Amino acid sequence: MASTRAAAGSGRRRGITFVVTAVVAAIVIFPVYWMIVGALLPTSITLSTDPPLIPTHGLTLHAFVQDLTARPVAHWMLNSLIVTAAVSVISMVISLLAGYSLSRFSGVGPTSVGYTLLLARMLPGTMLSIPLFVVFGKLGLIDSLGSLILADITITVPFTTWMLKSFIDSVPRELEQAAMIDGTTRLGALVRVVMPLTLPGLGATAVYAAILSWSDLLFARTLITNPDGWTMPVGVTSFIGAHDIDWSGMLAAGTLSMIPMIVLFVLLEPMLVRGLTSGATKG
Amino acid sequence: MTDLTAAGRGVRRRGPRTRWGRLRERGYPYALLSPPALLVLGLIAYPVVLVVEMSLRDGRAMNISAIGQEPWSISNYVDVLTDGDTYHSLWITALYTVISTFLSLLIGLGTALLLSRDMPARRLLRTLILVPWAVPGVVASVVFLFMLDGSYGVVNWILRSVGLTEHGPQWYFDPSTALAAVIAPTVWKGFPFFTLILLAALQAIPDELYEAARVDGASAAARFRYITWPAIRGTTVLGIILTGLWTFHTFDLIYPLTGGGPDGATETWAIRIYTEAFSFFHPGSASALGILSVVLALVVVASVFPIMRKQFF
Repeated sequence: MASTRAAAGSGRRRGITFVVTAVVAAIVIFPVYWMIVGALLPTSITLSTDPPLIPTHGLTLHAFVQDLTARPVAHWMLNSLIVTAAVSVISMVISLLAGYSLSRFSGVGPTSVGYTLLLARMLPGTMLSIPLFVVFGKLGLIDSLGSLILADITITVPFTTWMLKSFIDSVPRELEQAAMIDGTTRLGALVRVVMPLTLPGLGATAVYAAILSWSDLLFARTLITNPDGWTMPVGVTSFIGAHDIDWSGMLAAGTLSMIPMIVLFVLLEPMLVRGLTSGATKG
Repeated sequence: MTDLTAAGRGVRRRGPRTRWGRLRERGYPYALLSPPALLVLGLIAYPVVLVVEMSLRDGRAMNISAIGQEPWSISNYVDVLTDGDTYHSLWITALYTVISTFLSLLIGLGTALLLSRDMPARRLLRTLILVPWAVPGVVASVVFLFMLDGSYGVVNWILRSVGLTEHGPQWYFDPSTALAAVIAPTVWKGFPFFTLILLAALQAIPDELYEAARVDGASAAARFRYITWPAIRGTTVLGIILTGLWTFHTFDLIYPLTGGGPDGATETWAIRIYTEAFSFFHPGSASALGILSVVLALVVVASVFPIMRKQFF
């Protein structure tokens, strides 16, 4: 008798928690929903005195078709994709090596690299873009996607190195030592023993680097002046004109630039959660 | 434990015997470190040295690349520190950073506490609540620009419908509302990071602690005060510092929306550095302001961190 009452009570509690959380989630997700609605409806309907919160008719893919045919959205996407893929791969390689050194070796070299990376997070991107503009100008890299890749790495690696270090810290040294007794080199042990055990960390690194470089507006604006080299974020802002805004076109481009990140996030969320919290929960 | 150390010692004895082998083993940290070290030197340390140099060159140069030929001088720092706009902008930066970080923490903690409870479809709701973190800043900006449109935006429509206002503010064009209107997308994108790290910290608390407290008759407030809070305060401090730095440096959630305007109402130092350098072509004073903001960030983090730990946590 008492236990059924307790069960009913906890059932009601679960129900209330669910309803409250669902309302919160609906509010949080509303901007994403409203962007998609804005991309699917003509602006005359969404920006009106009485916009339909749940549209039932008038939905059209016109803005997406316009974006992909009349505007170089596909080209921006391709540029973004190249930069994002390169930044993710390079960030993984560099932060695996650096994270391993920070985790396993002590000494002046690893320590100073480690502190410089921590300090790098204190640097505002807008300040960093000034000397990077000068350096890449001297190297003739302005307007190339290469400059963007290098600039994005300066933002991702300081974070992902420390993230991977904490993953590598949890791999027992004895495993590598056993492999080295069996005749492999340290690099061999790193590749064959440590790397497979830090796959979630590498996954988190890749997602983090991908989201950051895919979203970068600052470096893309400063280092790329030719519209040929525009990435999605620069392209999306280009819909904002001096006098008016092509709303549905911009929201369609925004939707296209958001979807890959959300898919990536949903698929790799568990890895990412572990990656982002690896340093945080110890405190 | 003793077995492991013994094994470790055994390995060291059996390590590389030849001189070449020992040398190679000692060289590994440096070999592995060379790609990241090159990156750090070439893409972080050298640009920082360069920006310090640029800030110390006479500020007349309009051409960013030619500033190295100007004579040495502290005129940029004098210009920046005697300009009243610098301090107005600093005030905006403080408001923007503190309010955004505080609201992100509040919403992040609230959602983390909700999501740590048992409920149906928890995994789905968690993903939905965390999604804004993955949305590109520019995209967040344009959505809020759309929602907060002065005449026909959905937010003003809602405000009109519930009878709060007759017309609704011109969010991004009115100096009195523009700051709130850029804080909104910043909090929306910033709070899930708090949710994420606080949820992980909450889930690491053993249930037995709560059960024991309940048996002892502790109230919900007491359980939060004596069990939950001590377990998450370290994570909270870290989250405040990381989110604070992120907000302090934000570019893509302000610049596309207002460009720092109207009338400087949303011009944080980060935005001011950018416009000084790339719109007004004053690379010298932009660099000086950049260096000052690094110093400010270091001083605030270094001084706030111990105080927060001691006083409030």
